[in-house]
Amino acid sequence: MTVFSLYLHIPFCRHRCAYCDFNTYSGQEDLIPAYVEALCNEIRQVGRTAPNRLPVHTLYFGGGTPSLLPAEAIGLILETCRASFEVLPDAEISLEANPGTLTLEWLQTIRRLGVNRLSLGMQSAHPEDLRLLERQHDFFDVSQTVRWARRAGFENINLDLIYGIPFQTLARWEATLERALGMFPEHLSLYALSIEHATPFYHWVARGLLPPPDDDVAAEMYEKADAMLTQSGYLQYEISNWAIRREGRLWVCQHNLQYWLNEPYLGFGAGAHGFVEHLRTANVRSIRAYIERLQTPAQLPFPLTPATEQTQTIDPLTEMQETMMMGLRLTQEGVSRQRFEQRFHRSIEEVFGPTIASLVNLGLLEWRGERLCLTQRGRLLGNRVFMEFVDISAP
Amino acid sequence: MEKEFIRNFCIIAHIDHGKSTLADRLLQITGTISDRQMVEQVLDSMELEREKGVTIKASAVRMLYRHSSGKEYELNLIDTPGHVDFSYEVSRALMACEGALLVVDATQGIEAQTLANLYLALDADLTIIPVINKIDLPSARVAEVAQEIQNLLGTPPEEILAVSAKEGTNVEKVLEAVVERVPSPRGDTSLPLRALVFDSHYDSYKGVVAYVRVFDGMIRPEDTLRVMSSGIDFRPVEVGIFSPDMRPVSVLSAGEVGYVATGLKTVSECRVGDTITSSTSPAAEPLPGFRHPKPMVFAGIYPVENEDYERLKEALEKLQLNDASLVFQPEKSQALNFGFRCGFLGLFHMEIIQERLEREYDLDIVVTAPSVEYEVVLRTGEVVRIDSPALLPDEGLIEEIREPWMVVQIFTPMEYYGTVMDLVRRRRGIFREQEYPAPNRVQLTFEIPLSELIVDFFDELKSRTRGYGSMDYHFAEYRPGDLVKLEVLVAGEPVDALATIVHRDQAYHKGQALVSKLKEVIPRQLFDVAIQAAAGGRIISRANVKALRKDVLAKCYGGDVTRKKKLLEKQKRGKKRMKMIGNVEIPQEAFLAVLGLEED
Repeated sequence: MTVFSLYLHIPFCRHRCAYCDFNTYSGQEDLIPAYVEALCNEIRQVGRTAPNRLPVHTLYFGGGTPSLLPAEAIGLILETCRASFEVLPDAEISLEANPGTLTLEWLQTIRRLGVNRLSLGMQSAHPEDLRLLERQHDFFDVSQTVRWARRAGFENINLDLIYGIPFQTLARWEATLERALGMFPEHLSLYALSIEHATPFYHWVARGLLPPPDDDVAAEMYEKADAMLTQSGYLQYEISNWAIRREGRLWVCQHNLQYWLNEPYLGFGAGAHGFVEHLRTANVRSIRAYIERLQTPAQLPFPLTPATEQTQTIDPLTEMQETMMMGLRLTQEGVSRQRFEQRFHRSIEEVFGPTIASLVNLGLLEWRGERLCLTQRGRLLGNRVFMEFVDISAP
Repeated sequence: MEKEFIRNFCIIAHIDHGKSTLADRLLQITGTISDRQMVEQVLDSMELEREKGVTIKASAVRMLYRHSSGKEYELNLIDTPGHVDFSYEVSRALMACEGALLVVDATQGIEAQTLANLYLALDADLTIIPVINKIDLPSARVAEVAQEIQNLLGTPPEEILAVSAKEGTNVEKVLEAVVERVPSPRGDTSLPLRALVFDSHYDSYKGVVAYVRVFDGMIRPEDTLRVMSSGIDFRPVEVGIFSPDMRPVSVLSAGEVGYVATGLKTVSECRVGDTITSSTSPAAEPLPGFRHPKPMVFAGIYPVENEDYERLKEALEKLQLNDASLVFQPEKSQALNFGFRCGFLGLFHMEIIQERLEREYDLDIVVTAPSVEYEVVLRTGEVVRIDSPALLPDEGLIEEIREPWMVVQIFTPMEYYGTVMDLVRRRRGIFREQEYPAPNRVQLTFEIPLSELIVDFFDELKSRTRGYGSMDYHFAEYRPGDLVKLEVLVAGEPVDALATIVHRDQAYHKGQALVSKLKEVIPRQLFDVAIQAAAGGRIISRANVKALRKDVLAKCYGGDVTRKKKLLEKQKRGKKRMKMIGNVEIPQEAFLAVLGLEED
C-alpha cells in the first residue's frame, strides 16, 4: 500500500536571513489568519478530490518559520489534515522552529496537539557566525528551546547547522558541534553554506565584500564533523543528515526519507511542491496570490488545486533518473536493486549499466550487497555521480 | 552600352568608415533598388559580415544613372573586402576598375587600411575620388581630414567631397564625380576574349559563379569558354549582370562588369585573379597578376565529440565551395583524435571560419593555437615544411629552422608611439622606418615574425592605442631563427595540441606562463593532475592541479528536485564540452592558453 506524506509550507519570517533563498517573507505576518484559512481550504479540496482516503504517515511544517503560528492555528491545520486524510496513529509530525520565537507553553500545546518532532534552526553556536548569517537568536535561545522542548515532551529533536561560513574556522566549527552534541539531539542536519542567487550573500560575494565559500575548507569541516558525530553514536544516513541510534531505533527523519526514496507527497501552501501520480506540482509563490486563488473554489482533478501554478509530468525515464539522483543521497540505504526492479519493471543494470560501471571504476559508487551506494569518497563528490544519471537518454 | 558611357569603380575605406552605407545610398539614388526593398547594407549579405561590420566577399552591382548632362551612364560598383587578410582579393577587385572612391571617416581621419588600400589603388592606376563621410556627426573634423587627404594625395580641398551617407547629404555629387572624373574603360571588342575573375561564389544550381570584368572581346552565353590557368573548358550556364540580383544578359562586352555562371563544381577551378577566354579563339596571354594566395596561418580544428568528424568535414567542404583560400587536410592528434589541419590567409580569416562552423553549422569544435609554416633544414640537407609544432623533428636532426617574417605597417596617433614600439620589441620586431602622413599621426614600419603577429598582436595593439591604432601587413621572407619546441605534459603525457614553437630566449618565460595559465583553466579533477612544460628535453616549469574534494549539493528535498536536476544537467553539459585527454578533462580554452601569455 502506498503511504503519502504531507508538506505544509509556512512562508513567514520575522527577518529574512542573508543567505536564505527559501520562499518566505517578512513583514506580512498580518496575513497569517487568512493564510491559515487558505491552507486549510487547500487541504480540504485535495482531500475531497483524492481517489480514496489517502493514508498519511508523515507531516512536515516547513518554512519560513512555522513557530510564528499561534498554537491554535497549528491545531486547526492538523485537525483539517486528519479530517481530509487517514493520518496514521504513529505518524511523524515535524515542525521547523526558530529559537527565540516560541515559549514553553506554546511547545506544550503543540506537543499535545500531536506534533512529535521538532527541527530547530541553530545554524551556529558562535555569535559572529550568527551575526553574519543575520540570525535573530543566540546560543542561549537554542539551549533554552531544547530544554523547554524536552520538558514539553519532545523525544525527537533535530538541530540544523551550517558550515563553511565565511571567516568560520575549523576550531569554531568544532565548538559549534560540541555544543550541539551537548544537547543530545536525536538528529543533526549539517549543511555546507551555498551562495544562492539573489540573496544578500550573493551580492556581497559578487561585489567582493564577502569571500566565497572555500570547498576545501568545507570538506575539512565535513570530515571533522563526521568523525565527531560517529564518535558520539550518530550514523550518517544521508549526505547532510545524521541520526542517533537510541532506544533500539535509528531516529531518521521519515518525512525526508519519503523525498529521497522518490515516494509520493502532497505540498500545501504558497510555493509548496508535490509529487504524486507521476506529476510534479508547484504552487504559486506569493502569499497574497495564494490566499486569493483559494478564495474561489474550483473543481480541479486530483492533485491540482486553484493554487497550482506549474505541473510537470514525469515520464518513466525521468522518474528513474530522479530515483537515482535522490536515492543515492542515502549513504547507508542507497538504491536497492530489488526495489528499483519492482518499481520500474526493468533492472537497474539494463537502464544504467555502463554509467554505474564507470562510476564504480572511478571509486565513487559501490555495491553493498544488493544496494548501490556512494563510497566514502563519493559522499563529497555526489554531483559527479548524480550528473551522470540525470543526463542519460533512454537506452 | 558604348564604352564611353561605362564607369567601373570601387569604394575603398578603413573598417567602419561607412563604405557599405555609402554603397546602399548609391543604389537607392540610382533606383537600382527601391526604398522598400532596402535592407540595410545589401552588399554585405552574410550575417557574420553585418555583425562584424566588414565585408568579406566582394560584390558587383550595375547601376544606371542619368547625369545632369541628360546622358545615361552604366555605373558598375565593385565592392572590395575590407580586411588585411584579403589584400590579394582587394587588388583583383581594384584591377577591374578605373576609379576608386576613397572614403574617410570625418571623425577618425586616415587609418592604416585607408593607406594600404589607397596604395593598392594607386598601383592599379586608378583615379582616386576622396570622400569624407559622416559629416553629420558632431565630432566631425571635415577641414582637418581634408587637409590630411590633401597632404597625402595633393587633392585640392574643393575637389574633396564631404558627405553623410547616412543622411544622404551630397551623395548625388559622388555619382556626378564618378561620371566626370573616372575614365571610361579601354579595351577592344574585336580582340580575343579576356575577362578577369575578381570574385566568385558557389551556387548549388549554377555552379561556380565567376564575377568578371571583360577587358577584351565579348562573352556570349553560347560561347565555349576556358579558364586560362587550368585550361578547363566549360559552357556557361548563364551570363549576366548584378542589378543587384543576378539578371541574365545576351552579351558582356569589353569594359563591362558582370558574371559568368560556369557550372564548375569548386571555386578552386576558377580562382580569383584568373582569366577567362574563349576556347575556340583563345587569347595569347592571360591578364597579369594571377597567383594562388598562400595560407599563412594554420590551426587544427577538431570536433569536441568524435562522432561529429563527418559533419565537420562536410561543413569545411561547403565553406571551401565559396572560399578557395581555405585549405584543410585530415590530421590526427594523440590528444584530440581526428580533425583537420586548416590553412588560412590570416588570423581574421581563421576567426571567420571558426565562427561560421560554430554558428552556421552548429558544431562544437576545438581550435588549437594558430601556427605558421616553418622551413626546417635537416642535417641531411633536406628541407621540410611543417605547419604544426607537433610535427617538428627531433632537435638533434635539425640544422636550422626558418620562419616567415612579415612587413607590418602600424598607423597610430603620436601619443602611443612608445607603447607600440614596446609591443613590437617584445614580439621580436625590428623597426625599419617611420612616416608622418597626417598631422599627429605616425606610420611605423617593422619587420616581425608572423608567429608573433598571429598571437593576439592586433588585440594588444588595439588595447594599447585605445582602439586608435590600425595595422596592415604582408609577407617579406623566410629567415632562420633560434627556435625550439615548447611541449606541455598533462599527467605525464605530452599533449601534442598544446605544443608550440618559440624563440629559445622566450622558452623559459613562456613555459612558466603557459603552465600557470593552464593551472587556472584546467578544472580540478577527481585526482591530482601534474602540468609540465618542457623545452629541448628538459622540464622547465611545473604545477599541480589539486584533486577536487567537494562537489555536492548540500540539500535536496521535495521542492528542490526539478531545480537541482536542471543544475546537474547544466553541470554535465559543461563537462561534456571538455576534451578527454587520457583521464583528464581539458576545457577548450586550454588549447588557446598559449594566446594572451604576453600580458602576464
